[in-house]
Amino acid sequence: MNPLSKKVCLLGDFAVGKTSLARRFLYHAFDDQYVSTIGVKVSRKSVAVDTDAGVVELAMMVWDLAGSEAFDQMRASYLRGASGAILVCDLTRPATFASLRAYAEDVRRISPDARFVLAANKLDLVRPHQIDEEQLRRFANSLPAAYFLVSAKTGEAVELLFRELGRSLVS
Amino acid sequence: MNALPTQVILEDRKITYCITDRDLRVIQASDAAGLLASPDDVLGRSLLELTPELIGSEMVLADILAGKLPRFELAGVNRIADDQRTIYLTLISLPYNNSGGQVSGLIHLMQDMTDLVAIEQRVTQQRNELRLLRDELCRCNQQLAAAHAELQSLDEMKSRFVSIAAHELRSPLTAINGYLELLMDNGAGCFTDLQRDYLDIIQSSTHRLLSITSDLLDLTRIETGRLELVLQPIDLAALLRAVTNEYAAQIEAKGQQCTLLIPDGLPAALCDSLRASQILGNLISNATKYTPAGGAISIQLERAADEGFLQVAVRDTGVGIPVAEQKRVFERFFRASNALAAGALGAGLGLHITRALVELHGGEIWLESEVGQGATFFVTFPITDMPANTDRPEQLSRFARGR
Repeated sequence: MNPLSKKVCLLGDFAVGKTSLARRFLYHAFDDQYVSTIGVKVSRKSVAVDTDAGVVELAMMVWDLAGSEAFDQMRASYLRGASGAILVCDLTRPATFASLRAYAEDVRRISPDARFVLAANKLDLVRPHQIDEEQLRRFANSLPAAYFLVSAKTGEAVELLFRELGRSLVS
Repeated sequence: MNALPTQVILEDRKITYCITDRDLRVIQASDAAGLLASPDDVLGRSLLELTPELIGSEMVLADILAGKLPRFELAGVNRIADDQRTIYLTLISLPYNNSGGQVSGLIHLMQDMTDLVAIEQRVTQQRNELRLLRDELCRCNQQLAAAHAELQSLDEMKSRFVSIAAHELRSPLTAINGYLELLMDNGAGCFTDLQRDYLDIIQSSTHRLLSITSDLLDLTRIETGRLELVLQPIDLAALLRAVTNEYAAQIEAKGQQCTLLIPDGLPAALCDSLRASQILGNLISNATKYTPAGGAISIQLERAADEGFLQVAVRDTGVGIPVAEQKRVFERFFRASNALAAGALGAGLGLHITRALVELHGGEIWLESEVGQGATFFVTFPITDMPANTDRPEQLSRFARGR
């Protein structure tokens, strides 16, 4: 039997670390060099998700979308059919958190039933975080969604993030 | 599709294609149909399996098959080539009609847009990197502004403290000095020579402390912008003579020669007579302090090269100031190395205050010097067409010293 397949999109402003989160989840790797993503890169990973009914094999089709505004027009066609979205912001840049509501609204408009998780990335950076966790919590509750403070660099909470989304997709 | 011309066009435009039936299974494909697999490998397989980028767009494809939509396009699809290079494809799905004119499947074009998108990628990369730098710069500026505000507040606190301390010191020092003068005048015959020497030392130290407190008060007034000038037309020649006279005893005591060169017919200067006295007094005092006994001092007043200004030059034959230190002598608390070596007293405030006063007048101050050859300090004051104030400069000058 083919595993359950779900389309999951990574969304957020440029340089928040969407590609790095995908790479950490898919290949357990990290590259410090910043390379802007153009368009969309689709990858697939199967995960075993624990549910009340037992373990479900889920094929996650991870869509890593460009964060630059140049792709705003095209983003709608990428979001079509998405079952879930990971909204990513950068803990060191408050403006990237402020943008998340607009991304969430885009997803809601095109895929009303999509599930969300929130990822506040770059937890590893030493400087004081510019985004208040209480703000994150409130925004996550409004979606509703779970939120995670993650680091694509160290891998902290990245697996948890994707698994939580997987769990909400099969539940 | 009949071979050659079509193939040439497709290759030139870097377009490959495949045709799927109504169930989206591949029934025909061109060579290396953009699916990174050979045509034989793709025949019979599901399109969605080969192009996962179309997952989610099944409804749209169904609408094309139903004739409701003319086409579907997905741009910017990233693929990794065998050589690990990222290639960028545009996927286009169109209806494929059978001979009866019915939509029997879909034709999917995959155009390699890598050359074009690679340029876009570089532009986007640079733009994003610039934005990140700009954000970083903004953050640094905010931190600097906060640090600056804190420093400013500390500086104001320091100025207030110095001002209060100087005021509090000045009152008892004035009383000490007054009673000391009474003691020395009225009890002249009562003291032994040794006691007289002690009183002289006490008096000179008291004068020095009073001078330091005056300088500190001026410094805080300058730094907090509370120093205001009362500008009026002044006979600068008369003022210069009066101030020089006040130092006559000091000059004579060191056996120095002082030459005063003042031409007739100079216009009045627009200045605050008390502060102008302070400026001139400071320069003459320095000249006599740093000129050795028996040395020469010359003071010259003339029209400045800069039209609209009078210029005073105070030239000494003292130790001079090293070139490296010439710009720094106007900084607060700075003392030239050879002045220190010569054991000259001072807090390093005189020239700093003098420069501030000169600039408040709209004039300039500068110096020329060679080590061992002495130094010349120049100051300029703005000229006015109005006739000079008739107050006697001697009185103004004495008042200035009594600040």
